[in-house]
Amino acid sequence: MTKKTLRRTIGRALGRLPLHLLVLFFVVITLYPILWVVTIALSGQQSLAYVDLPPDPTLLDRLRAITPWPRTISFENFRSVWTDQPFGRWVLNSAIVAGATTVVGVFLASTAGYAFSRFRFPGRRAGLMSFLVAQMFPGVLMLVPLYIILVQWLGLGSTWIGLILIYATIAIPFCVWMLKGYFDTIPKELEESALIDGASAAQVFLRIVLPLAKPAVAVTALFSFLTGWNEFILAATFMDEELLYTAPVGLRFFVAGYSQQWGYFAAGSILVSIPVVALFYVLQKYLISGLTAGAVKG
Amino acid sequence: MRLAPTPRRLALGLALGLVVALGAAAWGAARASLRAERGLAAEDAEALARELAGALEASGLEPEAAARELARFAEAHPGVTAARVLDLPGRALVASTAPGDTGEKAAPRRLGFDEKPLYDLGQELRAAVESNRAGGGVPRPEIEIRTGETAIGVAAPVAAADGEVVGAVFLDLARGAGPGEAPAGGAPSPWLAGLLTLAAALGLFLAAGLGVPALRRRPGLLAGLAVLLFLAAVAVFGAWAAAGIAEELLARRFVRLAAWGAVLGLALLLFVGLGVGARTGRALARHRRAYLYVVPALLTMLILVFFPFFYGVVLSFTNANIYNTDQPVTELWVGLDNYAEILGDTDLVRETPAGRVIDYSSFYWTTGFTVVWTVTNVAIGVSVGLLLALILHRKGFALKPVYRVILILPWAMPNYITALIWRGMFHSQFGTINQLIQIFGGEPVSWFDTPFTAFITVLSTNGWLSFPFMMVISLGALQSIPADLYEAARVDGASGFQQFRSITLPSLKPALVPAVIISVIWTFNMFNIIYLVSGGFPGGSTEILVTQAYKIAFEQYRYGYAAAYSMVIFLILFAYGAWQNRVTRATEGI
Repeated sequence: MTKKTLRRTIGRALGRLPLHLLVLFFVVITLYPILWVVTIALSGQQSLAYVDLPPDPTLLDRLRAITPWPRTISFENFRSVWTDQPFGRWVLNSAIVAGATTVVGVFLASTAGYAFSRFRFPGRRAGLMSFLVAQMFPGVLMLVPLYIILVQWLGLGSTWIGLILIYATIAIPFCVWMLKGYFDTIPKELEESALIDGASAAQVFLRIVLPLAKPAVAVTALFSFLTGWNEFILAATFMDEELLYTAPVGLRFFVAGYSQQWGYFAAGSILVSIPVVALFYVLQKYLISGLTAGAVKG
Repeated sequence: MRLAPTPRRLALGLALGLVVALGAAAWGAARASLRAERGLAAEDAEALARELAGALEASGLEPEAAARELARFAEAHPGVTAARVLDLPGRALVASTAPGDTGEKAAPRRLGFDEKPLYDLGQELRAAVESNRAGGGVPRPEIEIRTGETAIGVAAPVAAADGEVVGAVFLDLARGAGPGEAPAGGAPSPWLAGLLTLAAALGLFLAAGLGVPALRRRPGLLAGLAVLLFLAAVAVFGAWAAAGIAEELLARRFVRLAAWGAVLGLALLLFVGLGVGARTGRALARHRRAYLYVVPALLTMLILVFFPFFYGVVLSFTNANIYNTDQPVTELWVGLDNYAEILGDTDLVRETPAGRVIDYSSFYWTTGFTVVWTVTNVAIGVSVGLLLALILHRKGFALKPVYRVILILPWAMPNYITALIWRGMFHSQFGTINQLIQIFGGEPVSWFDTPFTAFITVLSTNGWLSFPFMMVISLGALQSIPADLYEAARVDGASGFQQFRSITLPSLKPALVPAVIISVIWTFNMFNIIYLVSGGFPGGSTEILVTQAYKIAFEQYRYGYAAAYSMVIFLILFAYGAWQNRVTRATEGI
């Protein structure tokens, strides 16, 4: 490297120092709450304050109190939330509900998306638009009629079926649009030639179209799963029995009202978040393009 | 839509419509006569007590007016064997139709010692009304019903014009002998009468259709005739059946049921008669395969989205609450009252003895707060996201992938967990944010004690969680800008800022506009953050529309009111959607 280019590189790095500092500032803000939760989880106790402040704390004491760095590393909270608390049961509930939501959601969305993509029929536009409109409205607004219908009429309160069906319908509009868009890009000629070769309509859909749409199906599956895994308020409203709580409701249970089990909450949160965050990083590209495509193209 | 009425379709439509309309009416009539035989039930008692209490509200418990009101009431409702009106502050019996209250004991008079239980019950109801009005906690029943073997007793509070409870009414209702009792007989069965009416109307229609050639060739006229015959048949049958119901409460209930049946029947008549039904059937047959694929999803949506939505619309016109959802909606119908109460609550600032206070439960406060909340959040999200994207996008920016992975974390985290974490960080005693403030010599803040500081908590939480989305969208859009555009601009001597304004911003627009639209909707509906971080504290001041609707439904248990509230939110969202649709033409070419 010549002297000149070296100087330029250093100069540029120095010139960009303020920008790096700015980005670092946001990195600190981003990481702080996460490190804080990790610290509480590893502190081995339930209190929010993982450092006992002396009655007349010095500046150093206070700095130590806000530094999210574990001083003692104890996995007691992780062990205990899993064994002493019904947290394992709640995670299992969440997995069942989210898994079933995925199966139901993918089945409903792939068939409907296929029809909307391939066939022209009366009501097609209205159907597509109604899915788009339904996506705009939050489930909370439907909660009163749904609660009366599912809980008071059908007696599906505190059951998994009610929750799974609701989650599937929440996920369907996005999934239908996503899959319809993807099916649109698969050339129709493939299906036509298969039909000429004597394949049935069902075979065309199951053996040709669905395998070709694997990436989109994967995204809809992930989206349906996340809907079921991350949803809080519907589960909190429909599930009364403590043993049937899903993980979000259970985590809230640790720190709601006068309960202050922050250690359990922190450990549980980390356990629940890790798979979600990992999945998110793997599939973020598709999620982002799906979200914006849905909004741009309609 | 092309309409194709033919004589055959019209006849079929008339028959089906009449079956529905007359069936509903006959069922209502049969129910009413059964009820008349067996005496009134607890739910009737509640409706009657409410009616009398409402009628007495205007009288102000003035003895003569109250007695007049009571006499009118007793005449309309033969099922009520005794009715008493109490003045609670005056400890007096204002008016009474009870057999014992004559001569020496005739109203108005002071209450006797033996009547203390009545007085106590009245006071209990008054306390319930007052505690319900103050809000919070599970609502207490405002009507007391005691069901015995042969009679039902019911008590309800009477409010004065200013809403203060000043009295109570006590009704005794006779219960007929049990279901074993033989029916009185005599009157013809409503089912038979309905069948006769149906046959007559249909016969008339066929006779006119076949017998008058001029009509047969003019399907428009024939359709008119069908509708006329339908209305006439329903009116005749309805009038006949209503005349046979003596008790006013039952008659009203019958009329409402019959009206619903008539509306439904008429819709069916038009659907089948005008050929819409036939066309629907043909379309179903022709596009069999397409519908086969759509049906599972559509059916689920129909049952779990569209039907509940429709039911929600119906609920919004009722005063349904946790105690009465088992009653038919026609019983709970209050018309536009809920909407009037929501939209009519314009007294944002109230005068109280303690000075002026803002009514945080007012719809307009909540709407205003929701708008401020949405605008500030989206503004923060866009500006921070765009700023970071512009920095990271600089050519050869060191550590860019590392920064990106870290900065995207808040988006990947489940938002309820984020919310609970931030709530812990804002804890007034142990929260790390107050520790930080103390380092700089400040006093710890009780974050959830004033609306402004509570707003800061939810805003920081949601800001933390929402900027990555905008950053990622902006980064993607920046990457798609061709580099030669900038080169050309540099050759033309454009400054950095000019390049930003004329190249970067316009190229970002197609990606940013939909992202902003979608995040406006997300933020507007961001239930979890508000509900879990501030919980609406203090005093509901940081409630947004969706959390408010939830609390009305599941903390105050006013289902009807909550449904109306949700409908208003739907309308706001719908108006926003329609507007942004026009702006972006988002749905072109599907």
